[in-house]
Amino acid sequence: MIASRSPIVRLGIRAATPVAIVVGTYLLFAGHNNPGGGFAAGLVFGAVVTLRTVAGMQRPTHATGLISAGVMIVCLVAAAPLIWGNTILDQEIVSTTLPVLGKVKTGSALPFDIGVTVIVVGLIVALLDGLSATDLDGSAGAQRGGSR
Amino acid sequence: MRLGLSVAAVAPSITAVWAASTLISESPPTVREFVWVEGLDLSVRFRTDSLALLMVLLVAGIGALVFVYAVGYFAADASGGVRFPASLLAFSTSMLGLVLADSVWTLFIFWELTSITSFLLVGHKDVDATVRTAARRALLITGGGGLILLAGLMVLANEAGTSTLTDLVPVAGRAATVAGVLILIAAATKSAQVPFHVWLPGAMAAPTPVSAYLHSATMVKAGVLLIAVTGPAFVDIAAWKWLGVTFGIASMIWGAVGALRHHDAKLILAWGTVSQLGLLVTLFSFGSAKAIFAGMSILFAHALFKAALFLVVGEIDIRTGTRNINELGGLWRTMPIAFVVALLSALSMAGAPPLLGFMAKEAAIEAMLGLAGGEQVVGLIAVVGGSVLTVAYTVRFLIAVFGVGPAVPVAERRMFMTAPAALLGGAGVLGYIAVDPINTMVSKAAVELNAKADVYELIRWPGLKTAFIISIGILAAGSALGAALARRTSTVPEPLGANGADRLIDGVVEVAPSITARVQHGSLPVYLATLSAAAVLAAVPFLAGVSVDHLVWWDQPIQAVIAAAIVASAIAGAFVGSRLGAALTLGAVGIGMSALFIVHGAPDLALTQLLVETIIVVGFVLGLGHLGRRFPETAGSWRATRIVVAIAGGLAVTIALVASGAAPSGRAPIEALTEGAVERGGGNNVVNVILTDIRALDTLGEVVVLAAVAVGILALARVREQEAIS
Repeated sequence: MIASRSPIVRLGIRAATPVAIVVGTYLLFAGHNNPGGGFAAGLVFGAVVTLRTVAGMQRPTHATGLISAGVMIVCLVAAAPLIWGNTILDQEIVSTTLPVLGKVKTGSALPFDIGVTVIVVGLIVALLDGLSATDLDGSAGAQRGGSR
Repeated sequence: MRLGLSVAAVAPSITAVWAASTLISESPPTVREFVWVEGLDLSVRFRTDSLALLMVLLVAGIGALVFVYAVGYFAADASGGVRFPASLLAFSTSMLGLVLADSVWTLFIFWELTSITSFLLVGHKDVDATVRTAARRALLITGGGGLILLAGLMVLANEAGTSTLTDLVPVAGRAATVAGVLILIAAATKSAQVPFHVWLPGAMAAPTPVSAYLHSATMVKAGVLLIAVTGPAFVDIAAWKWLGVTFGIASMIWGAVGALRHHDAKLILAWGTVSQLGLLVTLFSFGSAKAIFAGMSILFAHALFKAALFLVVGEIDIRTGTRNINELGGLWRTMPIAFVVALLSALSMAGAPPLLGFMAKEAAIEAMLGLAGGEQVVGLIAVVGGSVLTVAYTVRFLIAVFGVGPAVPVAERRMFMTAPAALLGGAGVLGYIAVDPINTMVSKAAVELNAKADVYELIRWPGLKTAFIISIGILAAGSALGAALARRTSTVPEPLGANGADRLIDGVVEVAPSITARVQHGSLPVYLATLSAAAVLAAVPFLAGVSVDHLVWWDQPIQAVIAAAIVASAIAGAFVGSRLGAALTLGAVGIGMSALFIVHGAPDLALTQLLVETIIVVGFVLGLGHLGRRFPETAGSWRATRIVVAIAGGLAVTIALVASGAAPSGRAPIEALTEGAVERGGGNNVVNVILTDIRALDTLGEVVVLAAVAVGILALARVREQEAIS
């Protein structure tokens, strides 16, 4: 792939990665009160993963693991209220004062959103795996380490 | 594996002790309910009445013994690790949930869980192709029954106006009849009734602890239990009774005939189970107080003696290396303890005194005598006929395995196998001696189903009454028949039904590719044309509602600018020759859309749209690396077709949007949502609160579906990759 040979693209993506991760994390936490949320955060992380794939750089590979972890988180958050006799997916809101951050209000929607984020990232990784695995013109095998 | 089994045995042991102590203390039933969706009457509801507790005692008690037995059954170095104990424990839990369920939905969920865990356990030795086939057959038949059950339960809950099992009222009418028939068919698949019984003999491919536990003592009783607990709702429906009785009688006779034809000791017992389940289904379908009491007695007795017999056969299998009765013989000398256990259990099965099975069989004959008219004749003939055959295959089994012939050499005794079998076998005798507590238990359980059942009891020695004379006659006739057939070697019958079921499955698998190839041909242009055609069809109903009165040019002039940019990008996309250029123009359209969202005050939507567009464009770049830089040339009619398809699709969407915008219905729910978001959801971003709180169940469903699809596609892609490599 041409992009992997361009030092400008590689350096740019390398520099952008931490910034994008910070932005994604911000979106995840800000989502409850401001624009953002688990899906948007997952897309930002996913964009990082996609860019790194284009440039042939290291990226997460275990799509199934990510997806199952995300589903586990979401389902556990959904089922947890049942233990305390509440209905499924009942929202629990916690308000606490932390050092540095000051008064923080959050709820069980946050872990739920985290689960969604992980699933979205997993889906994008799965998509990328599918794209690079599909032998469209015969070059894909070589790209995957020349296993054939 | 042995450690896992020993640890797993603790849970059912504790449960069994709890059930026994609760039964003895005669505490009133407790109900625990976890409401899931209030508006839909969906809840997880459990109830510990006498019937449920009796079943819990059987499930957990026999479960504990089976776990101990399995420690002896599997060699110290047996493979399977924790999978087998875990699956068996999962089954045990599902079965407990099933017997404790007091809501039709709870019942259904645990019903399905037992089917799945049964599939895993039957397929334990998954390297063997016949085992896989047997497991698949069992899953498809019981799983299909599960779907039928869901339909039946939905109709029943609707007709009865409640989803609580103990609150069911008698229903009548056509819908109720449909519900009854569906539920009976579901019960017949689970309880291996003719013609759905074909999975049960195949399921004998499972390790013997599984066969003893699932396929004789507990899971196959689920169908019988279903008939018992839903029976009170269908008392007024004649079709219910007669369909149930037909299932029962056919299975009782055909199962016993099957048991007389087979040479594999385990298969003889399996066919015997079909027959006994038939008897139970017959009794519960008749549904008279006496029949229910007799049914409960036989259910209890059968769980004990049949589990014990299976455990003995497993021990014989392990110690002699064969289950073929033509190769066995003379085991009464070499395996004395197993012989005594088998003798006691088998005689209990045949209904011979002084054993628990005798009293239960007496009760069944009494129940048939207590019926009137045609029911009495049919019931009596069927029960007597089935019982004669039962005695016959019991005698044949005993003589062929333990009796005549030179003693087969046996391996050393394994105490872990012998002791649980001996306990279960001894329970039959103990039950006859100490009949009072059993009477109380069975009678109370029967009263839960029919209040008039409390006058009946098990009788040790009835004296020369009609039922007793019939019993003696059955024993005499059956023994003669069994002794005559004991050494007759006939050819093992072809498993016609099982083969038929397998061929059906294979046929579906064979036909599927050609249908898939026609529907999913993989041609993207044809897919797109199909989608556009569907959009056009869907837009037709909107044509009448199209009006331009409500349309304004713009709310703010900036929208016009953005719209112009979008249109320009779209037109450019249609004419651009390079693939990368087309991808970029599509991205421009998307970004223009998010700009429109921002103008409308929907930053969340805009953000999401922007991010999705970004990823799609980068994805395009990735995918385009595999393709040529420019689109192939298109000309002539093909180009015209594409233009028509594109215009038709665009027109359809426009018509639908214009028409639906013309007729807004009701007020926008924005106020209610905004208030709810801050108060209950604790967030100021309404969109996010909708996703994670107000409509969180939808989100949950969506992500789970997405994840399932992704995992499925990944698995398929991997298969293709492996095929390509090999």
